[in-house]
Amino acid sequence: MAPVRLPAAAIVGIGATEFSKDSGRSELRLAAEAVRAALDDAGLRAADVQGLVTFTMDSNAEVALARELGIAELTFFSQIGYGGGAACATVHHAAMAVATGAADVVVCYRALNERSGRRFGQVSVGAAQAATSAGIDNGWHYPMGLSTPAATVAMAARRYMHAFGATSADFGIVAVADRRHAATNPEAWFFGKPITLADHQASRWIAEPLRLLDCCQESDGAVALVVTSLERARDVAATPAVIRAAAQGSGPSQFTMTSYYRDEMTGLPEMGVVARQLWRQAGARPGDIRTAILYDHFTPYVLMQLEELGFCPPGEARHFIAGGAIEMGGRLPLNPHGGQLGEAYIHGMNGIAEAVRQVRGTSVNQVPGDGPVLVTAGTGVPTSGLILAASAG
Amino acid sequence: MRAGELAKETADVIRAEADRIKALGESAPRVARDPVNLPIIENWVEAIGDTNPVYTDAAYAAASVHGGLVAPPAMTQVWTMAGLRRAAEASDPTSQMVAVLEDAGYTSVVATNSDHVFCRYLRPGELLSLRVSLANLIGPKQTALGEGWFFTTRNTWYSGDEIVATMDFRILKFRPPATGAGRADDAVPLAKVQPPATLPIAPDAGPVIRPVVSPETKFFWDGLSAGQLRIQSCAVCGTLRHPPGPMCPACGGFQAITADSGYVVAAGTGTVFSYVVHHHPPVPGKRLPLVIALVELDEGVRVLGEMRHVRPDQVGIGLPVRIEYLRIDKDLTIPAWRPRTVARDHVSGLDDLPEMVVEVTPTFVVASALATRDFTPVHHDVGLAVANGSTNIFVNILTDTGLVQRFITQWAGPQSIVREISLRLGVPCYAGDTLTFTGHVAERTPGQHGDRCLVKVIGRCSLGEHIIATALLDVSGSRA
Repeated sequence: MAPVRLPAAAIVGIGATEFSKDSGRSELRLAAEAVRAALDDAGLRAADVQGLVTFTMDSNAEVALARELGIAELTFFSQIGYGGGAACATVHHAAMAVATGAADVVVCYRALNERSGRRFGQVSVGAAQAATSAGIDNGWHYPMGLSTPAATVAMAARRYMHAFGATSADFGIVAVADRRHAATNPEAWFFGKPITLADHQASRWIAEPLRLLDCCQESDGAVALVVTSLERARDVAATPAVIRAAAQGSGPSQFTMTSYYRDEMTGLPEMGVVARQLWRQAGARPGDIRTAILYDHFTPYVLMQLEELGFCPPGEARHFIAGGAIEMGGRLPLNPHGGQLGEAYIHGMNGIAEAVRQVRGTSVNQVPGDGPVLVTAGTGVPTSGLILAASAG
Repeated sequence: MRAGELAKETADVIRAEADRIKALGESAPRVARDPVNLPIIENWVEAIGDTNPVYTDAAYAAASVHGGLVAPPAMTQVWTMAGLRRAAEASDPTSQMVAVLEDAGYTSVVATNSDHVFCRYLRPGELLSLRVSLANLIGPKQTALGEGWFFTTRNTWYSGDEIVATMDFRILKFRPPATGAGRADDAVPLAKVQPPATLPIAPDAGPVIRPVVSPETKFFWDGLSAGQLRIQSCAVCGTLRHPPGPMCPACGGFQAITADSGYVVAAGTGTVFSYVVHHHPPVPGKRLPLVIALVELDEGVRVLGEMRHVRPDQVGIGLPVRIEYLRIDKDLTIPAWRPRTVARDHVSGLDDLPEMVVEVTPTFVVASALATRDFTPVHHDVGLAVANGSTNIFVNILTDTGLVQRFITQWAGPQSIVREISLRLGVPCYAGDTLTFTGHVAERTPGQHGDRCLVKVIGRCSLGEHIIATALLDVSGSRA
């Protein structure tokens, strides 16, 4: 193992468009708006940007965005694969670029018209027919009818329920917490619209054992994050969110959403790989975490993440989350912005922005304290994570 | 003469004519226009939606219980249908009885029952002939369609001198009520015919998503087409692996998979490791809700497939299953699962046949009628159908027989052998309706060719029960 390096970078700017169901403008336009807002937040100009990082799933090439922003030269550009698993990895890559001197200011972005344009929740014939290893992998599932994200998660959720006795109502606790938090977040799509566990239990089946309210919403919007060195961060307007830890991870016999061929199907070992790195880099333990933004495209994976991250032993998340533990004022408030079920589905990037606000102390649902904030990226896929804090140590 | 006396006189005439025709005995043989042949079979299986490869896939059929291509038994009547331009022999007992009833004003016709016995499956090249006799006449009866007479003909098909199939066929000739006239109290509520609700996907219509096949995965798909579940077996260390790839993760050995090495043929049995009941959104080529099971094979690896022949609430982790080869077309067969009864540990409800839904579009009505060589206008001409007292064109009985055969053999497997199909028609099934088949095994006895099963089948449409059928078939244990 390489020695643990001291933190080298921080997130110093966050920006976003509104979150909607129909943005009415192009994804490139959304990206440009979010980056402009993030740079304004950091007090930086486009000319300061040397690097751009996004998802392979983003439709806007770095150079296309650079043209719009008037960035003449880029010295670092990178795209991360595996869907939402890329979210925290964009910051990870940006931090590495800053640490190595490849770039001084790097902007991470994700823009999508996921509701008004291509909807991820539908069957993607193209994904199944790509002449790539991913296309071949999809061939073991799509022709047989397993072809949506919800269904792929449902397969793991069913096994998890069987192994540990978790129920649909346990999954519902996550949805209720997210929606309760979104209800007091004016930026959230579900602002003012909390749900009860009864609402969750009454919602229709999408892919049993997943109900409609176990599935995150579909959104249009964009989020951008500005990453720079700790030295430069001292000069920016806002409180920097120091990147105390950043990591990616994939696990044994890893597939994208269909890791069904490993010994067990009751965990997310790729998140375990991320977790071990995060705790080691940050020199922190789960008990230190003030609030966590856990990727919540589907509720069952929030339970599995709590276990993989070490907040509770395997199979015991349903007990951990009971009794308001993950709501504001609880033992570990999760997703104070409302998560992707409540705020918006911006592929995990809006969760990183919320983590920055929590570090700054500017969230509408501010969790008190000064402990570090944990963020995770997409689950069921090769993934990533971050620990952010107000100080470097 | 009063109306009642006139009616009685007419009835007496009809009965006397029936006795005369009955006394004629068997008609002269009507020789089929064409020998049993693949092109007509292809038209028929396409229209009916029957994908059993024993009818069209020569290689598959050669390796099957039949040892070569065979014709669908439910097509037997098709071979000797009169055709569009070729009038039936006037001396034919059916034609004679029809003429008598039409002269008496019973101008409309529906078939009501057909009881088939299939002595054996027919092969391409056989030239059939049909001999018909009148078995009985009953009437006049007040029916939902109007006053009419039922008559039954005994149809016997010969190949050379050998009797290959028989069918008792019952027809209702009726007098359609005058327009605007009141109907009998038990009349079918024709006004209730509603267009079918929009379904997430047209059943049986959408092609499935096809897999990307690589040099290392081709053996798997080829195996399925050949009726084998092939699992990669490392050439160096023997480790089994699914999904397969070019290099063994256990020992690092590169894999050279040829047509007959680099894999083992799995027994095709296992248990459900996990499963999903998919409700939304629509999935190409699948009906919803769809059960998809991840199965742990007895050999220890997992393979995913659709779980068929079972209601979602009957599936559970640990359920024993057996593979089913779901043939999409000649190039693609996908793995699917069916419950496996272990020893005598009977699982309640598993003798239910899986539901089959047919969207009865106008195209389906017309295509299937023509593929069964039934050119009666009520199956393709809306104006004539309405003039005959119907609300639309409707499914013909030869198609119903075909659908029952498809329904039972989809459940029983491509190598099952259909012995008898008896069906009674209830309410008509008009274009625009949806026909849903359900069924269960009423009796099961061990026989020479697997279990002989007596299966009860109901086909329902929006008006009620359209088909009430009983079928006898042998369900082979192998490759079922």
